[in-house]
Amino acid sequence: MSSLELSNISKGFKSGMVLEDVSLSVKAGEIVVVFGPSGTGKTVLLRIVAGVQEPDAGGITIDGVDMTDASPEARNVGMAFQNFALFPHFSTHDNIASPLTARNVPEGRLKEQVSAIARMLKIDHVLGHAPRELSNGQKQRTALARALIGQPKVLLLDDPLRNVDAKLRYEMRLELPRLLRTFNSAVIYVTQDYKEAMALGDHIAVLRNGRIEQWDTPTNVYRAPVSLDVARLFGDPTINLAPCRLETVGQGSQIHAFGRVSPVSEAYAEATGRDLVAGLRPEHVIVTETNTPGSVEFDLDAVMPVNVRSVLYLRGPAGEEVLATVGESEAARFGRGHRKVWVSFAPDDILLFDAASGQRLAPRVN
Amino acid sequence: MERSSSLEKAIRGILITAVLLFFLFPIFWIFLMSFQTNEDILRIPPSLFFEPTLQNYSALLTGKLETAAGSLDIAFMRNLGNSLLLSTFSVLLSLALGVPAAYAFARFKFRLGENIAFTLLSFRFAPPLLVLLPLSLFFKQLGLTDTYIGLIWVYQLICLPLILWIVRGYFEDISPDIENAYRIAGHSWWRTFRRIAIPLARPGIAAAGLLAFIFAWNNFIFALILASASKQPVTVGALAFVTASGIQYGQIAAAIVLSVTPTLLLALYAQRYLVEGLSLGAVKG
Amino acid sequence: MANLLLDDISKTYAPRAKAPIRAVKQVRLDIKDGEIVALLGSSGCGKTSMLRMVAGFEEVTEGAIRIGGQEIHNLPPSQRGVAMAFEGYSLYPPLKVRENVAFALLREKKANAEIEARVRQVAELLEITDILDRYPTVISAGQQQRTSLARALIRRAPVSLLDEPMSQLEPQLRAIVRARLKDYLIEHKMTTLFVTHDQTEAIALADRIAVMEKGELQQFGTPAEIKERPNNLFVASFVGEPPMNIFDAHLDHAGDHLRINALGAGGQAAFSLKAPLLENVAGQDVRIGIRPHLITLGADASPTSEDAVATGRIISNHWLGDQSHICLDVAGTNVVCVTERPVETEIGKALALRVPAKAVHLFDAVSGRALAHGLASKVH
Repeated sequence: MSSLELSNISKGFKSGMVLEDVSLSVKAGEIVVVFGPSGTGKTVLLRIVAGVQEPDAGGITIDGVDMTDASPEARNVGMAFQNFALFPHFSTHDNIASPLTARNVPEGRLKEQVSAIARMLKIDHVLGHAPRELSNGQKQRTALARALIGQPKVLLLDDPLRNVDAKLRYEMRLELPRLLRTFNSAVIYVTQDYKEAMALGDHIAVLRNGRIEQWDTPTNVYRAPVSLDVARLFGDPTINLAPCRLETVGQGSQIHAFGRVSPVSEAYAEATGRDLVAGLRPEHVIVTETNTPGSVEFDLDAVMPVNVRSVLYLRGPAGEEVLATVGESEAARFGRGHRKVWVSFAPDDILLFDAASGQRLAPRVN
Repeated sequence: MERSSSLEKAIRGILITAVLLFFLFPIFWIFLMSFQTNEDILRIPPSLFFEPTLQNYSALLTGKLETAAGSLDIAFMRNLGNSLLLSTFSVLLSLALGVPAAYAFARFKFRLGENIAFTLLSFRFAPPLLVLLPLSLFFKQLGLTDTYIGLIWVYQLICLPLILWIVRGYFEDISPDIENAYRIAGHSWWRTFRRIAIPLARPGIAAAGLLAFIFAWNNFIFALILASASKQPVTVGALAFVTASGIQYGQIAAAIVLSVTPTLLLALYAQRYLVEGLSLGAVKG
Repeated sequence: MANLLLDDISKTYAPRAKAPIRAVKQVRLDIKDGEIVALLGSSGCGKTSMLRMVAGFEEVTEGAIRIGGQEIHNLPPSQRGVAMAFEGYSLYPPLKVRENVAFALLREKKANAEIEARVRQVAELLEITDILDRYPTVISAGQQQRTSLARALIRRAPVSLLDEPMSQLEPQLRAIVRARLKDYLIEHKMTTLFVTHDQTEAIALADRIAVMEKGELQQFGTPAEIKERPNNLFVASFVGEPPMNIFDAHLDHAGDHLRINALGAGGQAAFSLKAPLLENVAGQDVRIGIRPHLITLGADASPTSEDAVATGRIISNHWLGDQSHICLDVAGTNVVCVTERPVETEIGKALALRVPAKAVHLFDAVSGRALAHGLASKVH
């Protein structure tokens, strides 16, 4: 049974609908990432679960109990805010302890629990400090400790790593899964960073324009996005896109995209003649120095090393822009760019989308 | 490029001195006057050199004024007490009513909310005399004329809008997420208001309370019309020095010094609150 | 375009009644004609002060700035031949995006046809074509930043200065705009100095990177040099994502070679490496660093005699679509490994990892200075 059930939540403001018919279920110990660009209603969704905002329609159940109309203090929910929302006039210790004081936990046990969680999050040395004396990283950990200490049934994390520096964000990304596992809450984690979403989520709910556009495991969201929008939101560099049309030639179908003709599985045959968009992930583009069968000549206009790889900026015979990621050692051969190279890819790596609706074509199953 | 020439420095110094002179000279002069006899004060041309006397102060404190025309009773100390009582209770009542109201205006969007808030402020725009005449009639009917309760009630016209509008701004500056966080932690609405909202708005509440106190203290017209001698504050009481035998400038000066001192001390003490403000470092990223 | 020389420049701020702040300390950068250079560092490291000195918004306390051999640091900004894109955009609100972009060319009284062609070119490059006739106040922050960038790029000035040029860019556009920008800068041989706190951006765009910290130049080199031969611990840990794994370590002399014992939390032994004798190593306490993608995972990690093998417990295993980040607990210290393929493993499981000797960087424990890069027997 799920610890948290959201059914058909809708919420509108004067400016329009923010959430439409959002349903979501999270099991105890599971992390569901709600991912989407800013302004898609992610934070509103969390606030509705926390009870500080009311939904226009829909229901919330926590551990089987209907909580739709319960006040925030009755829900047993923990929340970490993007702006930390620490109590500026409380010490770090009192900030963390606030969920325990609400339950009248005796002084001794309270102290014990606070120092235990502070040790776990490496902030035990700043327990006496006021929030304004903390670094952003320490503030963020304090907020996290405060959300976790009550061992809430539901834990809501509103982009908690947004306001900490890159290095710390990365470290926290590594530590969080283990930390969250020990508390066994049902976690909703909101983020705009697709890497964070993929790293942390057991499931990802891609929220766009107030609706859940895709609900799936991270691997599936990346490999099989339901729409162009989802495909563009995951991956760095962004997926390469090219308009194309499906043609029938003899027995099979084919498309002309990224400078060459590629065969397409018969399963897509019914899309023949429609305007399509072909998508190709940069890591699936194969770049060679010499002509290989099936490859096309492109201009290599810029080489951009990115960590362990390099991004190549390629321009095709008709001016098509293609980005490719290749290994660092491979990239070293190309120097500063501005030369000819040969580009190919496996036809199976192409994702096909309907140009009008933006939906990915579903292969017909026989 | 932040370097400034010595000429600039000199000009700046002169200008600052001029401004200070302009604003502080009257206070300084009053202070001097309070140690002078009426003869010294009225001498032409006025002189900075005189024989200081404490006669003005002793007259105020003992309540007996010896003049050429004979002995006169003055109720200055009582007036001072009245001022203190009226201002303090007015501000306390205003805080009790105004702070929760300010919170409501800041946090909840309700129908006509803005209009109500503005109407309350608009009491400050109307000339006091406009409301005074009808008020004095009502007060007679209600038996509130010349009572402390009646005066404190009327003083709400001064204090309440001030407190409402200043404190509302402070509440609006507190991120609602801080309060949300406290509620999610399991605390009731009332506890959140007391433990989070009030302490965080404390600098604003202190500032508004202080300003309201000073405004109430300095009020003249309400008490002039609605109170008799026994309930009068110092502002009205000072009129007593305009006697048949002449105006007692020395006593007036001493009365002013004595009546300004409490508000001045209060302002100096509360400056810390006004300037420092509570750092909301925990809110901003 | 022209070369740009920052000749031992310093900047000292002297606030009234406070100790002077030395924001930039004797930095020398010799930037070649047409070269793209990044000033990389965290906030407050002096990088923006340097850019503003070149632009002419700050006085140079000591040293000289030369463009094309000519001293320019006493000239007013408009006569220096520099174009600048501001971090705060600073667009002219009463002008449309098009007029903002074309501003410098209009002032130079260029022919209309040329102005139009160049506006179209940079607008396409930065994807602002469809907002050219809007006003700056009604476009998004990302669009404002791209407009500000366009306004600087269109000039093709002898030196272009870009302050955090891509900080607000929409993630979906970042890679492609970066690519086009690099292409544009190379094609027009534009000498470019840009400030960034994002090491990914610095590495992707720049021919050379100047890493700054506390007003001092830590290293000035190509991205490859910075990554493979970092001057010190600061550079090593600042550049690279995920950052370099760092261990405390202890050196033991063993006849004709050294034994390096890496230590985990609380001084537990993590793994040990054999290394050739090093002349410049005096003390016994060092720190070693290994880039995450150079660690090999799993049982097939067959060690050579110099390589170290350690065992770790999996803390997290993140597949990011095109790479995996695996974090292991090795003797109480977190070690991050990056692989190209997903790794099938569970949290809590023990896993072997191999640390190749040639991937190990050695740093002085006290000064942080680099002592050696790669510890294979032939390498010094």
